[in-house]
Amino acid sequence: MKYLLPLSILLGLALSACSDTNTTEAHGAHQNAEATIVADTELSDISLYNLESEWQTEDNETIKLVQLNGKVQLVAMMYTNCTYACPRIVADLKRIEAKLDNYKNGEVGIVLVTMDPENDTPAKLKQFAADNNLDPERWILLTSSEMNIQELAVLLNMKYKNGGKGEIAHSNIITVLNAGGEIIHQQEGLGKDPDETVKTIDGLLQNI
Amino acid sequence: MIFHRLFLLILLVGVCCNVQAQKSLPKNMVNVKGGTFVPLYGSDSIPVKVKTFLMDVYPVTNAEYLAFVNKYPKWRKSAVKKLFADENYLKKWDGDLSLGPNAAKIQNSPVVNVSWFSAKAYCECQGKRLATVEEWEYAALASETKANAANDAKFYQRSIEWYSKPNPAYLPPVKESFRNYYGLHGMIGLVWEWTQNFNSAMVVGESRADVTMDRQLFCGSGSDGAKDVKNYVAFMRYAFRSSLKANYTVANLGFRCAKSI
Repeated sequence: MKYLLPLSILLGLALSACSDTNTTEAHGAHQNAEATIVADTELSDISLYNLESEWQTEDNETIKLVQLNGKVQLVAMMYTNCTYACPRIVADLKRIEAKLDNYKNGEVGIVLVTMDPENDTPAKLKQFAADNNLDPERWILLTSSEMNIQELAVLLNMKYKNGGKGEIAHSNIITVLNAGGEIIHQQEGLGKDPDETVKTIDGLLQNI
Repeated sequence: MIFHRLFLLILLVGVCCNVQAQKSLPKNMVNVKGGTFVPLYGSDSIPVKVKTFLMDVYPVTNAEYLAFVNKYPKWRKSAVKKLFADENYLKKWDGDLSLGPNAAKIQNSPVVNVSWFSAKAYCECQGKRLATVEEWEYAALASETKANAANDAKFYQRSIEWYSKPNPAYLPPVKESFRNYYGLHGMIGLVWEWTQNFNSAMVVGESRADVTMDRQLFCGSGSDGAKDVKNYVAFMRYAFRSSLKANYTVANLGFRCAKSI
């Protein structure tokens, strides 16, 4: 069983590497598939949900980012071995979460993406979520291949460098996505006053 | 146990393929023998190891890129999403499938005004990938005669002169560009090139620090981290990369692909 996971990841990589061949040819079918997920929202040109990569959740489910659509999402990148900045980014997210009392989990979600796919298996992410008391109804933790993570990172304006030796130098950014996956606001740095981010979320939810 | 064997078998098959790949190089790729070098930027002066890899001899040309968009409509000028390429994507092309009136002049020149996403997709569709910054810089250390011309002042001087020339109206054909020790053309003196991890080279400070985004670091403090200040050319490349976003398309920025072995 142990060997199945790496295998499936390899296969997944091979399949997703050049996946855009049939987007136009199979347009009809594709749209139908998306229609069930996207409901009435048509993805805009700048939606992050245009990424077609596949991700594993902390429950080891495979999803595409478009499945996050429909609610406001807070997105941040971290890795579980990170001893200093990452607990703080989680703390920052919790500070924002604490001000979202008025909103149901169905309105705002929080997405943590690992920068260290080699170490952060779905099981590790699940443990991290439990250790940090992350409400599974609100939070989702994601991993994928290094390339897919890098692709998402560049879209989030995240810079990171895996220096080996278990240390990753990275920027700290919390991104607010609207229901359609567009970047609406970014909170940069650690320990920032969450007011502006919270206001952005308030604004977005009044529009929903 | 069965899985164990299966995995071993796959490993073995992988090894065979590697041996094959080494014997017969894919068309227009060369083998860049691995080694260590000290990159211009690094938090410390620890040499970086680069594994032996394959690299395209030439940057991708307009004609090659045209064949790609022919096959993958998603990457045509009129179809590409803004998320993946800005409004200057393939700016000089006439339309989705036309290089314009100067097609004959530019078909064998490097394709430019392409984004990181489009370059990455192109390489993946050839079963390749973009080179990492480390691989690219390692391969670019070579002069005509030496794999590592890091201490060759004349080589820098020539490189600086190349970079200080204004862009010509039409970029020259890739085959006419400078050929280095590995047989790679145009690593210097033709166009800038996208790399896989272009966004990782200039992380400043450490994970503790708040990193200010969009700090372009073109000058002043940007050079503090420079390892080898006399290699101004490499410094310019690092600075240029750090100013890019993945959907940017620039008139003198192209790419070539690489492959692990």
